[in-house]
Amino acid sequence: MNPENPTCRDIEPDLVAVAAGEAGASAARGVERHVGVCRGCRDELERYRVLEGMVADLRRAPVAGADPTLSRAELESRLADIRSRMISYGIFSSPLGKILIARSELGVSLVRYLESDAAGKSYLARLAGGEVVEDKAAVQATYRELLDYLNARGTRLSWPLDLRWAGSDFQRRVLAATAELPYGAVTSYAGIARRIGAPASVRAVAQALRRNPIPIAIPCHRVIGSSGDLTGYAGSKIGLKERLLSLEGVPVGLRAHRIERGHMYVLFDGYTEYCLPTCGTLSQEPMSQLTLFGSRRHAEAVGLTACSSCRPDLHPLSA
Amino acid sequence: MVRDMTEDPFESVVAAHHAEIHRYLVRATSRPGDADDLSQETFVRAYKAYRSLPPDANVRAWLFAIATNLSRNHFRGEKRRRQAMAAAAAGASERGSSWPEGEAIASQTSARIDRIVAALPLKQRLAFTMRKVHELDYDAIGESLECSGESARAHVFQALRKIRRGLDDLDIVHTERQP
Repeated sequence: MNPENPTCRDIEPDLVAVAAGEAGASAARGVERHVGVCRGCRDELERYRVLEGMVADLRRAPVAGADPTLSRAELESRLADIRSRMISYGIFSSPLGKILIARSELGVSLVRYLESDAAGKSYLARLAGGEVVEDKAAVQATYRELLDYLNARGTRLSWPLDLRWAGSDFQRRVLAATAELPYGAVTSYAGIARRIGAPASVRAVAQALRRNPIPIAIPCHRVIGSSGDLTGYAGSKIGLKERLLSLEGVPVGLRAHRIERGHMYVLFDGYTEYCLPTCGTLSQEPMSQLTLFGSRRHAEAVGLTACSSCRPDLHPLSA
Repeated sequence: MVRDMTEDPFESVVAAHHAEIHRYLVRATSRPGDADDLSQETFVRAYKAYRSLPPDANVRAWLFAIATNLSRNHFRGEKRRRQAMAAAAAGASERGSSWPEGEAIASQTSARIDRIVAALPLKQRLAFTMRKVHELDYDAIGESLECSGESARAHVFQALRKIRRGLDDLDIVHTERQP
């Protein structure tokens, strides 16, 4: 090769390509022609071939300090940590409008009614410390179950729940007690307060339910005021509360946003029989002691039997 | 039922590629400690983005691109790069002496090549390592380096040229001298 000769300089990339076995047909022909007449480049081609062999040795040679074992072990533990904080979410349409569903490896962590997609971002931002990723596929099955529920094809959402982002122990206790409310039944905020052993904390119970991270699955729509007023739901979405209750067969006075005790079957806490609202002195008992059912079917679905004195089975409430 | 998220398909990605990406990063950074950190970072980033990766994507090339990107960020400070080169020179000569006797000559040549590679400009070093050690195609290398496949080929050519010149005194091929 003669570096002064422009042909030699220009042919060098092709020379290297030929040595590496990467040259196209015309480049290879050009190199062949040139090395036929240029001794220097013929030697140079041979050197590049030898170099290719040496470089190939690099592939097989161990690299100093290249033991990945420790790094791999550290990586696995970092991934496990991220995985435990990983939250997949999707935004779906539902009979109740746009809905955001998020879940972790432990269970469903967030359900939100959305006014807009942008609103979803601010809800997700509250999952502090979570690694939030959009992954509809990961929450698709959860969404399907929710759809079935909202279309009255199911009465239970038996999701595992991840309540790590609930505000406090108190809130977790409120949510756990609310989760026990059966399908088609309602109780009062005071009733929940009594059940968690904090009968004076009615307002705090209402606040905790206001911030329920997983509505529908944790059925805060089944908790109403002691007077029978629906009070509030998800901010100003009292209409959704009515729809969810109606879906479960609870008769709701649509104009007044209230539930009439006189139209509901009654369970006095601790009993295993359900009654007509007029049974004994039931109508004078405070709501906090009672669970009300919209239909006999749903009362019996949780194992209750008809009261043997008022006989709701013989004298059902008119629908 | 809800999909079981404990059976993570990403585990097989780690199993298949971590060792190779780590090896690449040892050459890219010339410092095993940095390779430990950057290989972890590569897979942590990949894990977070994995779900949005198209199903037909070339996962291996994608991992090399992430690792390459991290290496380039890593070397943005010129001071760090100089330190790394000094460490590379020390590391390469250390290794040469620890190799078995029979492979001494080959290892000396390999060590020389490693030293020359470590001193190459970063893009040439990365392109050379991806092409010649890990045998990625030029388009994948181009994507890693955010340039065309042709530019990637040019980087590899420049690297080979410098290595070839760097080995001049070794007389790597015995040719008949012209009279």
